[in-house]
Amino acid sequence: MSTSLTEERIRQIINEEMKDYGVRKRAPPSASDDDHGDDHHYGHHGNGWGPHDWEHGAPHNSWAPIIMSFGITIFLFGFASTFVMNDDLNDTVFNGNYLPIVLVGFAVIISGLLVWWRQDMSFDGHFEPKSAGAPFQNIDIRKVGMWIFLMSEMMVFSSLFTTYIRYRMGTESCQAILDNHATYSNGLPFSPGDACWVPASYFIAGSHSESWTLVLFPDTLVPGAINTFALIVSSFTVVLALKTANRTDLDHEERSRKIRNYLGATLILATLFLVLKLIEWFVGFNIGPFYAPSLLDDGYTIHNEMYHFAGAGHGGEYIDVNLRLSAATFYVATGTHGAHVFGGIIGLVYMTYKAHKGGYSPTNAVSIEYFGIYWHFVDLVWVLVFPAFYLY
Amino acid sequence: MKVNVKILAITALLVASLMLAPSLQARSGGINNVDSGCTCHSGSPSSDVSPFMTLGNGSALPSEYNPGETYTFSFGFTGGPGSEFIAERQNTGGFNLVATSGTLTILDDSTQMIAGQLTHTTTGNDQMNWSVDWTAPSSGSANFQLTVNSVDGDASPGDGDHWAQSQFVMGAPGGVGETTTSSADGITVLFSAILLVSLMLLISVAYVFYRANPESFSWSAFAPWISEWLTSTDHKKVGTLYFVAGLFYFLVGGVIALMIRIQLSVPGNDFLTQDQYNQFFTLHGTVMIFLAAMPLINGFANWIVPLQIGARDLAFPRINAMAFWLNPAGSILILCGVFSGTGADVGWTGYQPITSWVSSHPGTTFWLAGQLMLVASSTLAGINFITTICAMRTPSMGWMQMPLFTWSVFVSVMCLFISIPAFGIGLIEAFLDRTIATAFFNTSAGGDPLLWSHLFWYFGHPEVYVVIIPAFGIVSEVLATSSRRSIFGYKSMVYAMAGIGFVSFIVYGHHMLTSGMAPWLRFVMMLTTMAVAVPTGIKIFNWLATMHGGSLVYRTHTLWSLGFLVTFTLGGISGMFFPSIAMDIHLHETYFVVAHFHYVLVGGTVFGLFAAIYYWYPKMTGKMMDERLGLLHFLIAFISYNGLFWPMHKLGLMGMTRRHHTYFIQANEYSDVVGTLPPEVASWNSFITINAFIFGLSTLIMVTNMVMTLVKGKKAPADPWGGWSFEWLVSSPPPTPSFDDLPTLIDVNEEHGSEKKENWLTRLMVPNDPDEEGMN
Ligand code: HEM
Ligand SMILES: [Cu+2]
Repeated sequence: MSTSLTEERIRQIINEEMKDYGVRKRAPPSASDDDHGDDHHYGHHGNGWGPHDWEHGAPHNSWAPIIMSFGITIFLFGFASTFVMNDDLNDTVFNGNYLPIVLVGFAVIISGLLVWWRQDMSFDGHFEPKSAGAPFQNIDIRKVGMWIFLMSEMMVFSSLFTTYIRYRMGTESCQAILDNHATYSNGLPFSPGDACWVPASYFIAGSHSESWTLVLFPDTLVPGAINTFALIVSSFTVVLALKTANRTDLDHEERSRKIRNYLGATLILATLFLVLKLIEWFVGFNIGPFYAPSLLDDGYTIHNEMYHFAGAGHGGEYIDVNLRLSAATFYVATGTHGAHVFGGIIGLVYMTYKAHKGGYSPTNAVSIEYFGIYWHFVDLVWVLVFPAFYLY
Repeated sequence: MKVNVKILAITALLVASLMLAPSLQARSGGINNVDSGCTCHSGSPSSDVSPFMTLGNGSALPSEYNPGETYTFSFGFTGGPGSEFIAERQNTGGFNLVATSGTLTILDDSTQMIAGQLTHTTTGNDQMNWSVDWTAPSSGSANFQLTVNSVDGDASPGDGDHWAQSQFVMGAPGGVGETTTSSADGITVLFSAILLVSLMLLISVAYVFYRANPESFSWSAFAPWISEWLTSTDHKKVGTLYFVAGLFYFLVGGVIALMIRIQLSVPGNDFLTQDQYNQFFTLHGTVMIFLAAMPLINGFANWIVPLQIGARDLAFPRINAMAFWLNPAGSILILCGVFSGTGADVGWTGYQPITSWVSSHPGTTFWLAGQLMLVASSTLAGINFITTICAMRTPSMGWMQMPLFTWSVFVSVMCLFISIPAFGIGLIEAFLDRTIATAFFNTSAGGDPLLWSHLFWYFGHPEVYVVIIPAFGIVSEVLATSSRRSIFGYKSMVYAMAGIGFVSFIVYGHHMLTSGMAPWLRFVMMLTTMAVAVPTGIKIFNWLATMHGGSLVYRTHTLWSLGFLVTFTLGGISGMFFPSIAMDIHLHETYFVVAHFHYVLVGGTVFGLFAAIYYWYPKMTGKMMDERLGLLHFLIAFISYNGLFWPMHKLGLMGMTRRHHTYFIQANEYSDVVGTLPPEVASWNSFITINAFIFGLSTLIMVTNMVMTLVKGKKAPADPWGGWSFEWLVSSPPPTPSFDDLPTLIDVNEEHGSEKKENWLTRLMVPNDPDEEGMN
């Protein structure tokens, strides 16, 4: 370990950099400055339940981690007991008496989350350590963490796409088999119940869609199309919230109201996304000239082993196909994306509430930025998921 | 010293009783003097002999058995020379019966058990039919192989005797009822287990608290103390929690391993049923890798990394605590099935399609869920460590000035972080298969089991490096300190680690060479795997060069590091056999593989962790560990370790398969029952079991050492070994926060280059330098 710098020079550099390291002092927005000196910064343990006094740095104690962890245990235990695959592996056996455990688990997780948030509510941007060394010199450490987290998220969706590509490329298309008059490309006959690939787009954007009352695209595509715009717009509203939070020309009250409204708009758009998704999956719609059955009504389910596939351009000809694999990849890939939206909603609920309480200000706006990074990522994933699953 | 003698005596006693234990296994005498007509078949089977097997009352075998019920079988043969009238006939017939599951119980003196197989005695040699009791197992179908010999009675085995063989099957009871009943009582079991474990932990924790200050023991003093531990986000406290949890599961995994070894100590044993055996090897692997090795590594990483880079804590302390608590919380799910006898039984690799199939236990679902929580834990820990190391090094410390342990944690966490999402997605897919019945790995719906293998091993191979690379770091630190010099080739060490980390992503197919993966991919994986040896070799030579240029002090941690060098290198060499595709087809799923990965995982990771325990224990607790007990531990463990795993290479080459409940040996050299092994396999296995117990028990020496020195050990100075990374700057144990002012890294050569050489050497190399004591 060697460096060509002299000791003196090093000490000089350190003294310069130390100013930005650790606790960064800023004027608090609505100062309720207490008189604890710097020397107390790390001797303080704080309250494990919150609210936390961020003047003393990050919480040294928290009940949230242990509560949430065991909540997840209870939740997963309940889930795995409530839903059990049957012996033929083609349906799930529902054990309703375990359902309360699932709910209890969920409640415990939420209560852990509330503890976490309770500690965070008092966060006012005072404590925002910065990165000291290359390659992230002077960038907020939380921001570095967020980008690194997204690295892992990238791998999550890559793995889902791997599954999709493997099955999509490796399974013969039902349409091709039908075109071939119920014969595989290698000449073997197709027997009813065999697995082949019916893409989700067949139900959503393809020949199966009943009507094309909209000039541009079939009705079933309506929820997906609206969703795409909803997510893109919501990415924009998050940016607006951040911009507003950074404005110094507004008084605190008005600014807080605006931030709340923008975050609220994001929240509503995100909720709209999930609601439309559920409509598309399970409910379907029939409004005026617009009619589209849900994917469930269409028979596009993870358990359907005998789908009556009539394809395009074959009159009365059809084959009975097992489309479970296609359905499983579709629902799980888009569902994982949906779960990320749901995670965003949970975060947004907290942030909207905090904005409502006047918790954000130019000195404390970066949390919105970090959420925005995540939200843009979720948006970006949708931009990949949508064409791959809905259109192709 | 008194303690040493006591411990030695107890160890000796235990070892002696263990050596005697196998001979207590049923093996009625007379193996040598039996006229064993059955093993003397000559030529091909004869059609005039027909074996039969019925229930005792003459009715046919039922197609399904009732678990645990005992059936009486009547079996034998008709036809052949045995049924002819021959004057002065000496014998009539013989047999050999092998049951794949359940327990055979001898009824009279006409039959006997030899090497787990039922055969006749001298008395029974004069009969044409025999009977035996069979107790049904709890699940799985039971196969019986009956070989009969109809003899001409001239006392010369072979000529004129006719033989034949038949298979009989009794199926397992239908799976439906079993599934629902077992998951029904699972809940009671889960909650009692949670309660019991928490109670035990609480009691031991209360004891620790009581010992610290017996006078002022009261609830009002205890409650804040315990809640401090449950809620702390301090990196040192969380590190200790990781450490305690890791050590606890290390012992759990060890006990499971010993039970596996008892089962394998003699051929045809049924100490564990097949069903239990499957669960045990699954849980052994899972517990050891995910709940023991990784938390122990995390414990050290938590403790040491912030100290080494001069940071006040990790970047996200609360997320750090969350990452820890997901571990014990997930472990409940992983283990919960086993208490009700329906634990995961699919191997730590969870191969498909069995994992998504009804025939694997309900516990598999919970196992998948528990693993998922560990994936979440690793992801959170990954964010934390990567951010900390990237962003929180003390300003004067560049990347190439980071201590090697920190580098190793960085590389290992990077590998883990980028690979584990693939595993997580695989787990989610399998979990959904088992719950809401998606079809990801359902072959009848077109699912592809190999997809799981790819997702798993894309993570699984980096994972094995995740657990070995921190050991590289530890050994680098220990050997440099013990050699009283800086590490040889620091930069090449860093590049080698980074290289191993990178290459580990493109070699994973070597676990799938026999799986039917694309042939061109096999070839690529063969080449890349072999390339791993290059950076690994660089590291080993650097360590040797470090010692060569230094002057070694033999502390306990030094010994463990030296042991590591030997055993890890041996494990690396056995690893080089597999990537050769043809060789792997022979060696795959044999004990040779078991030998390989235990050489790298135990001889590598665990030895490294032991070195780390002896090395950093004074820093963590402020108490010196006893070096004599340490030496004793090392000697016993190192020798028994090699006795335990080295013969496994031989067993693997002889054809002993891994993950099998038991094995059978040939009754003699003429025996040709397919799948039986040469007789020496049995003695090697007993040898291995004895060594396993010695190795397992030797760990208790270390635990005793830790506990005893914690209570009344010598106080440790800040820098007991003469190490010079930042963690040795602060007192032992370090204060909170660890650094009031962030430390500054300066060039030792510039600082001391002008001083007299002896002074510099003295300062760095003499362990008990009064100067360093003064820092305390
Ligand atoms: C010199 C470097 C190494 C090479 C060339 C190598 C090669 C291999 C190969 C080809 C296999 C598959 C054998 C088979 O199943 O047929 C294997 C298995 C295994 N290796 Fe290594 N290995 C090396 C180092 C390591 C290290 C450092 C570890 C862990 C610390 C490790 C842990 C394992 C484990 C756990 C398995 C068994 C996995 C299972 O099937 O359950 N290996 N190794
Ligand atoms: Cu590997």
